[in-house]
Amino acid sequence: MKINTKDMVCVGLLTGFALIGLWLNMDHNLGSARRMGPGYMPMLTFYLLLILTAGVFFQALTNGPDPLTPWSPAEIAVVVAGAAAVFVVYYAASHAGGWLGASWNPLGLALFVGCLVPSILKSWRPLFLVSASFALFGIILEPLGLMVAIVATVVVSALADETQKPLGVAGCAAFLCALCWVVFIWYLDIRVPVWPQLS
Amino acid sequence: MSWTLRRRALLAGLPLAAIAERPALAQGGAWPSQPIRLVVPFAPGGTTDLVARLVAAGLQERLGVSVVVENRAGAGATVGSEMVARAAPDGYTLVMSNIASHGISPSVYRGRIRYDAVTDFAHIALVVSNPTVWVANPRSGIRTLGDAAAKARSAGGLDVATSGAGSSNHLMVVRMGQLIGTELNHIPFRGAGPAMQAVIAGQVPMMSDSLPSAANHIRQGSVIAVAMASAERHPSFPEVPTFREQGFDLASDSWFGLSAPAGTPAAVVERLNRETRAFLSAPEIRARLAELGGTPGDLSAEGYGEFVRREVALWAPLVQASGATPD
Amino acid sequence: MDLLANLAHGMGVALSLNNLLFCLIGCLIGTAIGVLPGIGPVATISLLLPITFGQPATTAIIMLAGIYYGAQYGGSTTAILLNLPGEVSSVVTTLEGYKMARRGRAGAALTIAALGSFFAGTVSTVLVAASGPLLTSVALSFGPADYFSLMLLGLIIAAVLAQGSVLKSVAMVTVGVALGLVGTDVQTGQQRFTFGIPELSDGVGFVSIAMGMFGIAEIILNLERPESRSVLSSKVGSLMLTKEEFRRAVPSVIRGTALGSVLGILPGGGAALASFGSYMMERKVSKGRHEFGTGAIEGVAGPESANNAASQTSFIPLLTLGIPANAVMALMVGALIIQGIQPGPRMVEAQPDLFWGLIASMWVGNLMLLVINLPMIGMWVKLLQVPYRYMYPSILIFCAIGVYSLQNNVFDVYQTVIFGIFGYLCSKLRLEPAPMLIGFVLGPMMEEHLRRAMLLSRGDWMVFVERPISATMLAIGFVALAAMLLPSISRKKDAAIQEGG
Repeated sequence: MKINTKDMVCVGLLTGFALIGLWLNMDHNLGSARRMGPGYMPMLTFYLLLILTAGVFFQALTNGPDPLTPWSPAEIAVVVAGAAAVFVVYYAASHAGGWLGASWNPLGLALFVGCLVPSILKSWRPLFLVSASFALFGIILEPLGLMVAIVATVVVSALADETQKPLGVAGCAAFLCALCWVVFIWYLDIRVPVWPQLS
Repeated sequence: MSWTLRRRALLAGLPLAAIAERPALAQGGAWPSQPIRLVVPFAPGGTTDLVARLVAAGLQERLGVSVVVENRAGAGATVGSEMVARAAPDGYTLVMSNIASHGISPSVYRGRIRYDAVTDFAHIALVVSNPTVWVANPRSGIRTLGDAAAKARSAGGLDVATSGAGSSNHLMVVRMGQLIGTELNHIPFRGAGPAMQAVIAGQVPMMSDSLPSAANHIRQGSVIAVAMASAERHPSFPEVPTFREQGFDLASDSWFGLSAPAGTPAAVVERLNRETRAFLSAPEIRARLAELGGTPGDLSAEGYGEFVRREVALWAPLVQASGATPD
Repeated sequence: MDLLANLAHGMGVALSLNNLLFCLIGCLIGTAIGVLPGIGPVATISLLLPITFGQPATTAIIMLAGIYYGAQYGGSTTAILLNLPGEVSSVVTTLEGYKMARRGRAGAALTIAALGSFFAGTVSTVLVAASGPLLTSVALSFGPADYFSLMLLGLIIAAVLAQGSVLKSVAMVTVGVALGLVGTDVQTGQQRFTFGIPELSDGVGFVSIAMGMFGIAEIILNLERPESRSVLSSKVGSLMLTKEEFRRAVPSVIRGTALGSVLGILPGGGAALASFGSYMMERKVSKGRHEFGTGAIEGVAGPESANNAASQTSFIPLLTLGIPANAVMALMVGALIIQGIQPGPRMVEAQPDLFWGLIASMWVGNLMLLVINLPMIGMWVKLLQVPYRYMYPSILIFCAIGVYSLQNNVFDVYQTVIFGIFGYLCSKLRLEPAPMLIGFVLGPMMEEHLRRAMLLSRGDWMVFVERPISATMLAIGFVALAAMLLPSISRKKDAAIQEGG
């Protein structure tokens, strides 16, 4: 048997997606063919997805092998820990008062911390430190302004790459601060806080 | 205003360069001493956005600080409005309150929005109100509301296009159906443009639209204005009869105005009201707004607050009848 | 001839010093926002609107138009160099363009994109001038049923974009359609799949998905494979097109121009279909079709021309009916109305300066963009030589600012993080993001037209086969589907025979 492991994982993923979609769609009125309700098209879409996924499943039985690089137990453990951290931080932050719980800060903090946890392992750093640095940009931008956000994002994302040297990172951050000021603030004039908001 | 604008304006030697200058900060703690944010709860490009930019330019000139328009669209204009409702009431954050965010959405999104359209805001001034007009395709044979009612009662029913579900136009269609006594076949579109095109092409015979977006097509004769949903005939279209004249008791304007978070100092509200009204009464602004089909507002701050209160009460039962819900 | 006299008159208007200057400013701003991922023309134009209040209408509209097609030109640059599509049309450009860049042919890809766009712009400008009013009737003859069938055809075609399994890519199209369902239902105003998040009520952001699944996922993958990034910076290659490349690209440019010109006339979706309709066509008919997936020049030349042709002809509904085809044009209408000018059929007689000046300036603008862009290609390609360790933080920052500036909302930034992780997962599982994005864009339009068609037909499904336009589209779609599935079946047979033997 030449089972295609990648495709099998796809089947699992897509089936899960379709089933969750169908479950959520139970809230929506299907309507009639003449006056279709909000649930009509989602129903068609998710059933079609299930049918297609079944097709992928049968293909996957024979068109392998296409193995996935297996994850080590430690790798799995830190990802699970990271996912847990997302929920814990989100819950804690959204119940905390003040800045922590305001607007989308709980989501940003949860994503940031959740991405930092798996980054303990070197093999996860490209994925999770890059993601974390992007989330960090969102957290910092509004309270501390564009310049601080740029520096923080560059520094955190630089940790994802072993070839970086401190001086190079500092130079890169300084250059980007200057470039972004010229391009976005001076030339295009977009609306974004540039410096820390004192009030 | 910003550096960019100043630089570009100077480049071309525009008369606008004067107002594009970065204004000097006022001394002391007197309001206004820093830039004012004007939140428009719609995506750029609509009538509200456009007029907001006109008003921002006008206020900037009169107040001597920059007034920056910021678009925060979403959820029936409630996302941007909610942001302003929670902002510091210092007079530096304003919102373009409008028929969606402060008239209809409170009923549509009941329990979902975290602001009260009446009590969470210090309403400042009504900026523009636009009458609603019903237009028909010239080949549809509909000339009066009587024709429309007859077609609605016939076997095929009457299709009426609008700019979207949950809009004031949608609710007008529901209300009109109640008055005629038979349900109209409501055909919602994504915006007034596509809806108007369907009417011009004859795919839908009729449409309920706000006058600014329909005015041009009426003047060109690509559609016929059947009835104006305002108390009196519109000065720019005196030949179009109102709904009341044709025996249907229906009048509704769409509107938008300026509001600030509740708790904004009364002196600031008064000053903004004064400057806005002064700006709106300038002849060339009146002319521009008339071209759009709109009527500049001239209400006191209390008057506008009372106006918003009445609108919220007015739409609640119609929203219920239309079945528009966020779930 | 009238047309020539009118065009000459228009040239006179467009070539006045002031108009030329503003055309240049518009093109420069447009190129900048096109190159920067996420920053779109709508936000920029609305920021610049107050300036236009104080100017003659012709000048104002010429500048806004310059921004609009400048952005179209600029968008292909980041798609080719960095695998970052800023809008739907550039998604297709990433497929072959980025592959070409990795092969060291970035210069050639950028050159043909600029030349093809210029050719398409020239042809379609003449088309707009010569037969704009005539073509309007095409736009008006498309009813909801016809649009539905067109979108369905588009989705079927989208599956062809896949490099791998057709079945998996159709599944990804479907996933895209499902993602497109998130948000307010147009017909009832109900919120679907929004989990009570107000930011989702207008749907998931296209730019967030594109930045996440293309831009960020690509960065992560490059960081994981240190060997692959050196490939990118070491091979820069000649900037010029080889004779062979030029010969291959010419027919693609012509086909793309024709297809784009026709689809651009249809407001709401036509222009979105243009570029990947052309990609599909090239992949089926061009001489270089066997090279698709490894960086075929036809796959850049055709779609880029189609895209630019469509963006010119999409002015037709605006000029002849006064109906804007997209958000940028809605802004232009606003600018005109503020000036006291009513766009529409009477504009040709009432405002000949404006009408013909705008048309002439379209061509002048295209020429200007070519002149601006060709010398810059050398500079862009040099960017690839910047070591990747400096490159990727810069891409991240530009993406982040772009995404934030869409709605001035950090929610979009976090959304992009999630799509970045999802995109990484997809690439590990060989699920392709391009078909998904196209499903995401076309799906909601398809639903809208389907439901509207059914409302108007009183629930009669026959409307889709009774209308000739719709029936034709469905027939083409059926043939395309058959053509797509048959080779895969016969290939399987071949494989089975080989194994047996």
